[in-house]
Amino acid sequence: MNDRHSGPIVWICIIGGTCLLLFLLRQVLWLVIPFLLGVILYYLLMPIMVRLLLAGISRNLAAMIVAGGFLLVLGLAGLFSAPWILSHVGSWQDLIGHYLDGGTSFVLNTALMLEQKFSVLHKAHLSEVVNMRMAGYTENFAQQHIAEVLVSIASWLPSLALAPFLAFFFLRDGRRFKKFLSHAVPNAFFERTLYLLHEVDQTARRYFQGLLKLTVIDTLLLGGGLWIIGLSSPLVLGLIAAVLAWVPFIGSVLGCVVVVLVASTDAPNDPLVAYSAIGVFVLARLLDDFIFMPLTLGRSLHMHPLITVLMIFIGGAIAGVAGLMLVLPLLGIAMAIGETLGHVITDPRLRARHRQAKALLAMQASADLIVK
Amino acid sequence: MFGFLKPNYLSARLQRLKTQQLFSTLTPRELTIVDGLLHTRQFLAGEIVFDEGEEGQALYILLSGTVSIGRTRDSVVEVVAELTSGSFFGDLALLDNTPRSAQVRAKEACEMAVFFRADFIALMETDATIGYKISLQLARNLAQRFRALALGRPRIEPL
Repeated sequence: MNDRHSGPIVWICIIGGTCLLLFLLRQVLWLVIPFLLGVILYYLLMPIMVRLLLAGISRNLAAMIVAGGFLLVLGLAGLFSAPWILSHVGSWQDLIGHYLDGGTSFVLNTALMLEQKFSVLHKAHLSEVVNMRMAGYTENFAQQHIAEVLVSIASWLPSLALAPFLAFFFLRDGRRFKKFLSHAVPNAFFERTLYLLHEVDQTARRYFQGLLKLTVIDTLLLGGGLWIIGLSSPLVLGLIAAVLAWVPFIGSVLGCVVVVLVASTDAPNDPLVAYSAIGVFVLARLLDDFIFMPLTLGRSLHMHPLITVLMIFIGGAIAGVAGLMLVLPLLGIAMAIGETLGHVITDPRLRARHRQAKALLAMQASADLIVK
Repeated sequence: MFGFLKPNYLSARLQRLKTQQLFSTLTPRELTIVDGLLHTRQFLAGEIVFDEGEEGQALYILLSGTVSIGRTRDSVVEVVAELTSGSFFGDLALLDNTPRSAQVRAKEACEMAVFFRADFIALMETDATIGYKISLQLARNLAQRFRALALGRPRIEPL
């Protein structure tokens, strides 16, 4: 079963199934994100849960201890950091304003520089147009977008609070659910199904471990590059950009904007620093999207790098940002299910054994019902 | 919920597991852990448990009933042994990836506990004591079979 070679029909079904899943998930997006966070928490907390189980604690109690402990740590962290956060809200507003001003100046300086180099742009009054647009945007930003952002955060928070509860139920009932599923499988397909469930679990585990590895690589790579060009807090910036990169492409753009804002504010009179930061960022992203991501996430899912990249594009086209995030784990799971089902369904011996078992059951059930 | 605070006693199911050769040396706590990993299956008389040459993913512990072990010779399956309640088979699947060396068929209605290889390996990695105890029982069983084979009176070869 380890040397499986699926045919083109199985692969078409796998890719088609993944696209269908993405389309369906788009309809329940509010549930997808907490579900995803719940799964990440599950894999994060699972080793502690296993330790408790091996210490002789029941599954229910172990799940309660682990999930309760996590909520307690989260609550304590919130409690202790709340005064500090509240006391710094004002300075953060100033800081954000400071960086936004830095970014605006950088864009305007770049427009002026372009005007000086290209007379066509000078005639088109590029800098004035940019200045007007940016002034209008920044002046109305608070009125137009703050309420919108707050409302969307308020609407997402309840569903995000689902994540720890989902993780608790995954921890408590995951094995029970697996047994429940396998219990419904006929004897002839039982071993293969156990293997399939194991593969799905391993695929998800490998994906999230790959994601964490990728985050560390991205942080170090970007942090190193930004440190070389002399930016402040390079590791923090690298980490922010690496976490944003969990959303392929769009996350990268947001990360780049953050880096450019910091670079242009740190060195307002030296646009070369901001250009270098963009260069470092683009280089890191190229390495990430075409080398590290296929090598970590793609390899963790045993996928060809070309399929990984193509599926990221398809995922984005079908389900937007959520599609970009979910396409690879979904493809991995669809691959594990599709390849195993393909093997089971196309195995004539297993099907014959299942038919024989059904016939035996029918015979046994009607043994005393024969009409003479 | 607070079962771990109570004195260890064996439920009827765990007592039945304790009588199995493979788990005879496990403590009640260890038996509870192993029980959580086992799957229970029922087979009808005449139903095939697994085929010769099939890739093995699990070990089977016969909780009740009898199975016959058959090997194909000249396209005919010949019964070479029978196993009764308390025996286990398919143990080589836990140790390596070799195909099943014989066919196993339920001679009468059977109940079996199934130990999936990945669960067994994960248990070995996370709890060395249970892993060691089960492995020792597996090794003892294999030694008995090979000794019987060497003496020319094989009960059953490893599957």
